Amino acid sequence: MSAAPLLEIADVVTAYGRIEALKGVSLSVAAGTITCLLGPNGAGKTTLMLTVAGILKPKRGAIRFEGASIAGWLPDRVVARGVALVPENRLVFAQMSVRDNLLAGAYLRKDRDAVAADLERMYERFPRLRERAQQHAGTLSGGEQQMLAVARALMSRPRLLLMDEPSLGLAPLVVGDIFRIIAGLKAEGTTVFLVEQNARVALDVADRFYLMEQGRVSFQGTPGEVVQDEVIRRAYLGSARPRLPSPPPQAGEG
Amino acid sequence: MGGRLIDAVQNTLDGLMVGSSYALLALGFTLTFGVMRRLNLAYGATIMAGVYLGTWLTLEHDAGVAAGGSAAVGGAILASLYVERLCFASLPERAALASMVSSFAVWMQLEEAAMLALPRHTYPFPALVSGEPLGVVLPWGALALRLEYLVMLGSAMAIGAGLYFVLQHTRFGRALRATTDNALGARLLGIEVGAMRMRAFALAAAVGGIAGFLIAATDQQVTPMLGMWTTIKGLVAMMLGGLGSLRGAVAGGLLLGVVEAHAQWYFGPQVRDLVAFLLLFACLAVRPAGLLGSARAGGSHRPPGGGRG
Repeated sequence: MSAAPLLEIADVVTAYGRIEALKGVSLSVAAGTITCLLGPNGAGKTTLMLTVAGILKPKRGAIRFEGASIAGWLPDRVVARGVALVPENRLVFAQMSVRDNLLAGAYLRKDRDAVAADLERMYERFPRLRERAQQHAGTLSGGEQQMLAVARALMSRPRLLLMDEPSLGLAPLVVGDIFRIIAGLKAEGTTVFLVEQNARVALDVADRFYLMEQGRVSFQGTPGEVVQDEVIRRAYLGSARPRLPSPPPQAGEG
Repeated sequence: MGGRLIDAVQNTLDGLMVGSSYALLALGFTLTFGVMRRLNLAYGATIMAGVYLGTWLTLEHDAGVAAGGSAAVGGAILASLYVERLCFASLPERAALASMVSSFAVWMQLEEAAMLALPRHTYPFPALVSGEPLGVVLPWGALALRLEYLVMLGSAMAIGAGLYFVLQHTRFGRALRATTDNALGARLLGIEVGAMRMRAFALAAAVGGIAGFLIAATDQQVTPMLGMWTTIKGLVAMMLGGLGSLRGAVAGGLLLGVVEAHAQWYFGPQVRDLVAFLLLFACLAVRPAGLLGSARAGGSHRPPGGGRG
């Protein structure tokens, strides 16, 4: 690895009550890359995203962003610092207009002129959102809602964009669109850390992969190493279907 | 013929005037129930608590009508923050029923407290303006109009428009709507959901306090039944107009006032409330979302779209 990582997670434990969903997760995301987190349902991927975003408080461990410790910060401080999460299921504001959704994304920003300029930039990048600017977000298609969720998160001008299963429930063609957008973000210098069960599409764009199982990181490597790994290939790439119905066999400790 | 007509016009006018007090109440209820989606049964009681504080100040300390009004608004805000902390902030959002039941308990609490502080059945409240009703002479007869009601109508219009502007076009309004639409989504953008809810409660209470003050200053008396009265009138007017619609709240309030005034004139005061509930029943049967409400307020929280790939 080159310089210091943008995001560094070390031995993070997050618990719901007495049940530990993260049992000591360590990983790092290098600046300017796309890092992809794989893993079966219930592995703790969403828990990790919510912990970094400040929604969940880690019980132990360190989370450093640009060298500063952000573990245990509330979401408003995390967002202000430059980290935004596009959540699982998008969570757009269904009864607000597309435009108001985007402006809500800039809630913490006080520079009104720059916000207006960014709004225009989002409309240029996602012309569908401009067409539907006055429509309620709930009337958008799934793919459009995902674009809106990404654009809304970008309105806070993050340097690190977290994305939790951006392809969930979308048609294959739309998934392609979303991943072209993700590649475009990287080209612009935004670092992306995403959770994805659809490893096949992620292989084309991601620079580095982590596999999480039962609250721990059980594998890490480059796309080439992912393809080489027998277990991962069977579990995440072997099937022609984009998602597997059952969790993969255990790799390593149980 | 001229007499009949002038009666009808006068009734309509009276109805619009009383209806503007309903409209003010309905605006506060819309903010609480429609915009924030909180089943806050103590809302009317917080208005009563504020008005009682204002009454107590004017009685015990010879405060004027302006001080009484300020105290009514301030008292309503304090009481509503008490309700918010006790019944809503301390309970998880999915426990809406527990919040509703505990807010009902706080209603009783506030009513008891008011009756302990001022135990008589009625107390005087200073008038907003002194003087005779305005007379308007039309070619076919004379109409009477009380200035207080004009103030109330103007306030309802101005507050309705002001709330609309705040909700639709300000950073606070967007954040508040985002909070009720999807609390987790809002938190992820850095919106402090808890603080937002407290401010929204305070705003709704301020509207309610103004409504309660204007009503008390027009009636020139207060009773502990004010909490019950504001709850019923505000809820009926809000549901008539449509849950969540500010314009609907004003329209529902005015309609309720007009229908009540005519019913009272033609069928006697005992049917006044009966007609109000019949109107609500008919409206809900024909248009469940209310006159100006959108279908969404009547049904589920989830959007219809989202599945078109």
